Amino acid sequence: MAKSHDGIHILQGLLVFGNVVIGMCGIALTAECIFFVSDPHGLYPLLEATENDDIYAAAWIGIFVGFALFALSIIGIVGVIKSNKTLLLVYIILMLITYAFEMASCITAATHRDFLTPNLFLKQMLERYQKSETENNNDKWMTEGVTKTWDKLMLQKQCCGVRGPSDWQEYTSAFRVTHKDADFPWPHNCCVMDARGSPVNLDGCKLGVPGYYNSNGCYDAISGPMNTHAWGVAWFGFAILCWTFCVLLGTMFYWSRIEY
Amino acid sequence: TRTMLPLLLLLLAMAHGQDESQYRPKLADPSLGGLKTTSTFVLEQPRCVFDKVQGDIVIWLVVAVPEAVPRFNNSVGPGTPERAFQGFPTSAPAYMTLNTTLLNYPCPKPPRDITVLRVGSETKCTKDKERPTCNGPLPGPGPYQVKFLALNGSEPVAETSWSEPITLRTAQPFSSIPTPGSGHSAGMIALTAILSILFAILLAGLLAMLVFWGSDTCGGTSTFTKPEMVTVQRYNTHHVYDQPAARL
Repeated sequence: MAKSHDGIHILQGLLVFGNVVIGMCGIALTAECIFFVSDPHGLYPLLEATENDDIYAAAWIGIFVGFALFALSIIGIVGVIKSNKTLLLVYIILMLITYAFEMASCITAATHRDFLTPNLFLKQMLERYQKSETENNNDKWMTEGVTKTWDKLMLQKQCCGVRGPSDWQEYTSAFRVTHKDADFPWPHNCCVMDARGSPVNLDGCKLGVPGYYNSNGCYDAISGPMNTHAWGVAWFGFAILCWTFCVLLGTMFYWSRIEY
Repeated sequence: TRTMLPLLLLLLAMAHGQDESQYRPKLADPSLGGLKTTSTFVLEQPRCVFDKVQGDIVIWLVVAVPEAVPRFNNSVGPGTPERAFQGFPTSAPAYMTLNTTLLNYPCPKPPRDITVLRVGSETKCTKDKERPTCNGPLPGPGPYQVKFLALNGSEPVAETSWSEPITLRTAQPFSSIPTPGSGHSAGMIALTAILSILFAILLAGLLAMLVFWGSDTCGGTSTFTKPEMVTVQRYNTHHVYDQPAARL
């Protein structure tokens, strides 16, 4: 009897430890998802214009799941220490619901990340950047978002287009409709700027002289933060869920061993 | 002296610059990003080409469609309707532009300088009939052929050869960009599969728990039946106790 009593104590200790870790991970998940939702790189308008911003929905779910995990872990610790069967049953059922939500968030983030290809951003940029005739308010809002984001991106990251300035030459675009090719082979934001925000040498920029225009593409600057975002939500969530799985199995086993 | 004379002639020939009629205008260095766009292209300046030519010459760039090259007449002057940019390429199969004196093409060319001519850079005079020598953007992808022509007044004195045909870029419509439907990466598939399996195991565990709990309460009812058996035994012991009492 003493041996199994010790065994139960060890299991109790492990479950409490497991729940502490779940609680801390819950807080970390909430913090991470709040960080992503706050959009520090200012790339949200690009996602909004794809009309598929699931990756942000996944982060929003992550905020609430993280908080729920923290609250439930406290219930779990209390339930394990007091060996209260009802409390533990409530804990298990609520944890399973939270598990389902977090699963949805992880899968959404991972799936949606695969959707964000260079061609997608290229087509969107050509379609919306500096588009002059917008059909309705929604179109206008998305166009303004895309234009502002690209202008800021090209200036701050010293890049041009998705793959390079040749994007503006290889394809027609809304930009080309209002800006003649001879004056603007590519947008002026692709030129190397001086401290006051005007091109250092506009003719050099139009000619494409190396050093006077940005010859690299912006795709790395876009995909970097998006990858971090998606992987942060998807794989951290996956790790939490694997740990939670073990703790829940242990809790179910502990629950079945409690005698009235 | 007999051997000296050919040697002297050879030296004299070498001392002259390149013969301009053998020079072919060519595109500038390929490292320029804007070498060819959809309506402009960039040529090398004709440095050290027209040095031998005497007199007060003006060097013009002639841009023509390849069909006009065989029957091109050097004497037709710039500024005439037959050579006006605004009529190119329909009523004027060739136009002349970018006129400059030899002072702007000094020889020798400094090695570090970028000496280029951007054909098609003037957009303001595209429709201005008063400016027939406009260096306007080219109307289509071409091909085009160019040469340099030196005029003394209105008389042609020197020319280069025609260049190779130059074809400009054509822009594809952006709707032709393929945006393939989601190609699922291996990571995403692994994540979905593993999470689904774990969730299924947990649900099975919950089910087992609830069944176990249910069977526990069934066992509970069986424990409720136990007191009945005890009372029957009590009656038995009652009997047993009676007999010794009777003996006493």
